[in-house]
Amino acid sequence: MFHVSFRYIFGIPPLILVLLPVTSSNCHLKDKEGKGYENVIMISIDELEKMLDIDSNCLKKELNFFRRHSCADKKEAAFLNRAAYKLEQFVKMNITTDFELHLLKVSQATFKLINCTKEESISKETKKNDRCFLKTLIQKIKTCWNKILRGQ
Amino acid sequence: MTILGTAFAIVFYLLYTVSGESGYAPNGDLEDAESDTDYSFSCYAQLEVDRSQHSLTCAFDDPDINSTNLELEICKSLVGVECMKFSKLQEEKYFIKTKKFLLLGESKICVKLGEDNLACKQVEISHLVKPEAPFDIKVIYRARANDFEVTFNTSHLQKKYVKHLIHDVAYHQEKDGNNWTHMSTSNTRLTLPLRKLRSGAKYEIKVRSIPDGEYYKGFWSEWSPSSHFKIPDANSAEEILTISITCFFCVVLLVILSCALWKKRIKPIVWPSLPDHKKTLEQLCKKPEKNLNVSFNPEHFLEFQIHKVNDIQSRDEVESFLQDTLSPQLEESDKQGYAGSGQGPNWPSQIPVTTSEAFKGELPFGCPAGNISTCEVSMHPSFWSPDCREGARSGSHMYQGLLLSPGTAGSTVVPPFPLQSGILTLNTGVQGQPILTSLRQNQEEAYVTMSNFYKNQ
Repeated sequence: MFHVSFRYIFGIPPLILVLLPVTSSNCHLKDKEGKGYENVIMISIDELEKMLDIDSNCLKKELNFFRRHSCADKKEAAFLNRAAYKLEQFVKMNITTDFELHLLKVSQATFKLINCTKEESISKETKKNDRCFLKTLIQKIKTCWNKILRGQ
Repeated sequence: MTILGTAFAIVFYLLYTVSGESGYAPNGDLEDAESDTDYSFSCYAQLEVDRSQHSLTCAFDDPDINSTNLELEICKSLVGVECMKFSKLQEEKYFIKTKKFLLLGESKICVKLGEDNLACKQVEISHLVKPEAPFDIKVIYRARANDFEVTFNTSHLQKKYVKHLIHDVAYHQEKDGNNWTHMSTSNTRLTLPLRKLRSGAKYEIKVRSIPDGEYYKGFWSEWSPSSHFKIPDANSAEEILTISITCFFCVVLLVILSCALWKKRIKPIVWPSLPDHKKTLEQLCKKPEKNLNVSFNPEHFLEFQIHKVNDIQSRDEVESFLQDTLSPQLEESDKQGYAGSGQGPNWPSQIPVTTSEAFKGELPFGCPAGNISTCEVSMHPSFWSPDCREGARSGSHMYQGLLLSPGTAGSTVVPPFPLQSGILTLNTGVQGQPILTSLRQNQEEAYVTMSNFYKNQ
């Protein structure tokens, strides 16, 4: 009896504490009003969309990355943080200087607006010339931000 | 003792260290001078000033600073780079133009002397925005609304970042010095009610802008170029009203007069009707006077002289004949008349005759057209048309020139319906009586008669 109580008191709570970070997000949004997004990030996203000329067929492709990471409820910040890291992989695609500039603006501005306690692990590098993936990624980032702002 | 010595050594050592911390150094004079200088500076940013490039301009607050070797550097919140250096302009200003401002988060601007940072400042570029000055101010008076519509333009309408501004519109009377009235608006259009302005005065107006403060903040732009406008005079408005009412009534009066006088006066001048010879003839052939003696008994006409037409010569010009030749002809005939007075009663006289177009081809006297050699022209009423006979019998006033009046017995008469332009050779039977006056009268009467074709309408 005494041993059983010890197990419940000293065994389960630590287990819960260990498991909590797995279930909860380690990122939170600093800019809850979305002003940084509307006045800086959104402008660069619009410019990137113009330069990439989003193709509707491209967006329908369900890529692995988006199956594993999505803008789910309470995970918006984490998704945006992960997406920002992914964007930086596309720098130096040799499109134009302005293109790289806007890519970096989106990613660096996202890092400033989102605070994550845990560093993002470097995922598998995507092919640099995968424009379809880039187009989809930008579109997903925009959709996720709009979802955050609508939820305000 | 040892302990005391140790204590003093520690104290001196501490003193030395502390004074070093406070800035004292072997070459302390220079460092003191450097640390006393105020390197404070101010900056402002202009976004998308050159297409998509932004600019950042800084200047020291103290204009007396010797900035010969001083440089400015900005770090953090830059895209793709860690730090950027300013360029030095004239007037002791530092300037940088780039697309690499993140516009989010803080940046650090430092005054550098070589590698040393003399002064640093944390700034947010999005809070240092100075918009471009507005331009193209227009002021339009709206009489119906009784106000002035003010519109202006700003380059920020086409920009992507700083789109939302607050505009400060300032206006004053030109003679009023610096007493400006301010109005705030977020649009590029506003109205000034007339009641707030003095009638007849001249006003000056200008605009400046500032970011709305939602995200971008900063400073007022430069003032726009001034525009001038004048308030319409209340008296002039009354005068205009009076003049318009007067003009209206004049127009109404004119319309009424036109309607009233249309038939009698205006229409005959504007749209004269063509003479109708039948109507004219009817008018000419008026009922004779009551005391006209109508008889077929030749003995009643013994006092009237009958002039036989012996010869008619055709002439081309009709009217000029009357004017040009009548006078010399009349003079001639006068002479002839006078001369003829001594020659006998049967001396024929040649009288120029004018013709009427209406009777060009027709000879009312029954004579064939053209050259009439022996055509007896008789003043007898039987030669007239049946319609006219009645009138002729009664002695129409139109034929006074034709019919011999007692006062002009023996004078020659020109028929009212001459055959053609020509000379009627008439046997006047005049015994020395002057025919000039009567001819002239008859010619005048002929003129009168001819013109009556139009008058009688």
